[in-house]
Amino acid sequence: MSLDRTAQNKDCRIKTAPIDVSPSRQIAIVMSTQTLRPYTGIRIIDLTRELGAYATRLFADLGAEVIRVESKQGRADRQNPPGVAGLDPHRFGGVPYAFLNANKKSLTLDLATAAGQNVLADLVSHAQIVVYEAGAQADVALADLLAVPGARIVTSVSYFGLTGPYSQYVGTDLIAQSLGGIAWLSGEPDKPPLQLAGQQSVFVTSLYAAAATAIALWDLEATGHGHVLDVSAQEAIAHSLQNAIQVYDLEKRVSSRGGEGVRDATEAAYACKDGYVFLAAPLALPASWNGIIQWMTEEGFEGVSRLHEADWADRATRCKAAMRSEFKLLFERFVANKTKQEMRDNALKRKLVMAPVSKLADLQDDPQLVYRQYFQQVSMAGLDHPVAFPGAPYRLSEPLWQIERGAPALGQDSEAVLAGLAASQKTAGGQA
Amino acid sequence: MFPQFLKGIRFADLTWAGAGPFSTKLFSDFGAEIIKVESGSRVDPVRAGGPFRDGIAGINRSGYFASRNTGKKSLAMNLKSRKSRDILYDIIRTSDVVSNNFGPGAMERLGLGYDEVKAIKPDIIYLSMPMYGEDGPLASLLGVGMTISAVTGLMWQTGYQGEGPIGPGTHFPDHAANPYHAAFAIMAALRHRRATGRGLKIDLSQVESTINCMGLPFLEYALTGQERERMGNRSPFHAPHNIFACAGADDWCAIAVETDRQWQALCQVTGLSELAADPALAHAQGRLQQVERIEQAVTQWTRQHGAKDVMARLQAEGVPAGMVMNSRHLMEEDDQLRHRGYWQTLDHPEIGESQFTSPPFLLDGERVNLRRPPLLGEHSEDLLQQLLGYSAAQVQALRDDGVLE
Repeated sequence: MSLDRTAQNKDCRIKTAPIDVSPSRQIAIVMSTQTLRPYTGIRIIDLTRELGAYATRLFADLGAEVIRVESKQGRADRQNPPGVAGLDPHRFGGVPYAFLNANKKSLTLDLATAAGQNVLADLVSHAQIVVYEAGAQADVALADLLAVPGARIVTSVSYFGLTGPYSQYVGTDLIAQSLGGIAWLSGEPDKPPLQLAGQQSVFVTSLYAAAATAIALWDLEATGHGHVLDVSAQEAIAHSLQNAIQVYDLEKRVSSRGGEGVRDATEAAYACKDGYVFLAAPLALPASWNGIIQWMTEEGFEGVSRLHEADWADRATRCKAAMRSEFKLLFERFVANKTKQEMRDNALKRKLVMAPVSKLADLQDDPQLVYRQYFQQVSMAGLDHPVAFPGAPYRLSEPLWQIERGAPALGQDSEAVLAGLAASQKTAGGQA
Repeated sequence: MFPQFLKGIRFADLTWAGAGPFSTKLFSDFGAEIIKVESGSRVDPVRAGGPFRDGIAGINRSGYFASRNTGKKSLAMNLKSRKSRDILYDIIRTSDVVSNNFGPGAMERLGLGYDEVKAIKPDIIYLSMPMYGEDGPLASLLGVGMTISAVTGLMWQTGYQGEGPIGPGTHFPDHAANPYHAAFAIMAALRHRRATGRGLKIDLSQVESTINCMGLPFLEYALTGQERERMGNRSPFHAPHNIFACAGADDWCAIAVETDRQWQALCQVTGLSELAADPALAHAQGRLQQVERIEQAVTQWTRQHGAKDVMARLQAEGVPAGMVMNSRHLMEEDDQLRHRGYWQTLDHPEIGESQFTSPPFLLDGERVNLRRPPLLGEHSEDLLQQLLGYSAAQVQALRDDGVLE
């Protein structure tokens, strides 16, 4: 399958030049390069629900015009729980929607009619990128999008990919974490495998999709060749299993939860006076291990003598469950009267690999994040007060990353987008 | 296919260990020239860390290193030597990107701080990815991937119900959130440079990057002031939603019912007609209230079947279900990954033939084929002679002086 349509579209760079000639975009066109953002002038048709929504947000945060095309009833992802108190999810969406769709626009179409489908095709024909989420809830068929003439990037995201025996399987985050292999690696040996919090398969899939889409766009702009990406959440998770694949392939050992036989006895979360701290003090991090011993010695902690015995000098022995249990008891005794802040201060002073296990409630008071003014206050449609959002995932030396608006209300941008489309068609017609 | 989408882009890549090299690997897989600048005396810890072919350690035998460095070139130098700095400056003059994931200040100590690099290559794209960012009161806190999980809420939120935090079993943020946010930022910077002629500095705090991947629970907290307790594999919104023990030893299948129709289908497949008929369980709210009763009943059924069978039977009726795969299952038993040609075999002078995961997508219906990772210093002489125009005698002198390692 190739979308190489160079015969139809020999100079893509001209064809895909800024296409939205709405007043705001006209201003953008004449802006000096001082205000150009990395994806200014790129239009993305967003047909994602959950797995791909963060991918398009990454582009929107850097200036792309990302247009959610939704049915009149609104796309299913607006209903993803939890809801936002006091807001109608149909119109404003719930919490996941609010986070994943900031900076985007919403256009509603009656996709059940030929007229609606024609408008969608027009929008696609004026877009450089389409991100499509496959599955039973999809409002349109991928084949219809691929049939629209012109060269562009069409990125499909799905739980298992568009082909193969699982392609019709129904996925969720838990299912992807299970079939991808990360759940197996998490948790404790005598208990079930454990899902990671926060819908991580959504983010892993979207991050791979976004990076690959950006690279494919680079090629489109250089050569005029369109591309189709078929991103699988299962594959994305399986690609991110640390070294578990290689451990099995080369040494025929199956990595398992609890790190039995792999992870040092000192790598875990430990209870302290007011919460938990994470420590890593394996022999491979000698400053951390020696620093802990030194600290215990300075405080006259009697348990330290045990850590001088020979079995603690042997890397393989230290990876055994009994050592893990013993260290936990010993270390938790040492830190039982120490606060998370004291532990962090000592980590800095003694160069230990150790940090508090933060609650979400702690993040806005994290001194580093406060110093770097990390969190952003965002106005959300329907709310009369701004809400804290995580800030930029990377800092650029120019102010190119911005959250300019919260996630759009249903159909909020329909008129403006359609007016822009009509104007660009008129312009294109005039040039023809 | 071997896509050459990024041909002509060159990295002077000083990243090492996990997160940094996993980011720059994406660029070599798409045809960019990634010059991995490494040291034989202070070796990349992942080269030393294994796993190794047949369990026999060796600097060129690590599968972990191999999986993070496909298609790169290796230049091995003593980075503390003045001459190696000059070589590096020559390489940087011909490069588009300089990348590192050292702690704050390390690049400056090597004479490779942003200002110095920018002075010799004004439009350079410069990526740093220290754990907590380049400046601030905790910038010098040492960390590994699990430390990042700890300070971002990911570890706190991940654990069994009623027990303490556990966190991911891997250094999870190193293997997706941070490398691919970095890759996305580099592509944006390349595009920005093409449009404006200006390079960019990218300061990727791995903590700030990872908190975005906790954006959903964080925003819920920000809106409600309430933080949910750990729930194991359950969901606050759906039931049943858990990982169930199946017939074999350490044999598990996830089941995640998200709609009332899926609930009825689950009951039908499992023969739980009494539960299906109970009006109290018809909707999620009622099922959440009786989640233990439901899970017990479902477990009685899953215990009688293998996980793969449980998955196939439930999926056939549209119920989200997935066997919990380990590395052996993924590589040897998973029909989907096999069908899609996910595993690639690459030959290597010291590792021999071994398996690699493909980039997790098909591109125009095909796999992106990988090229093998480099031996330590494999390309040093070629790079100096062909890229920088050094003579064979100059290269030998550098080797004799211990500059090349």
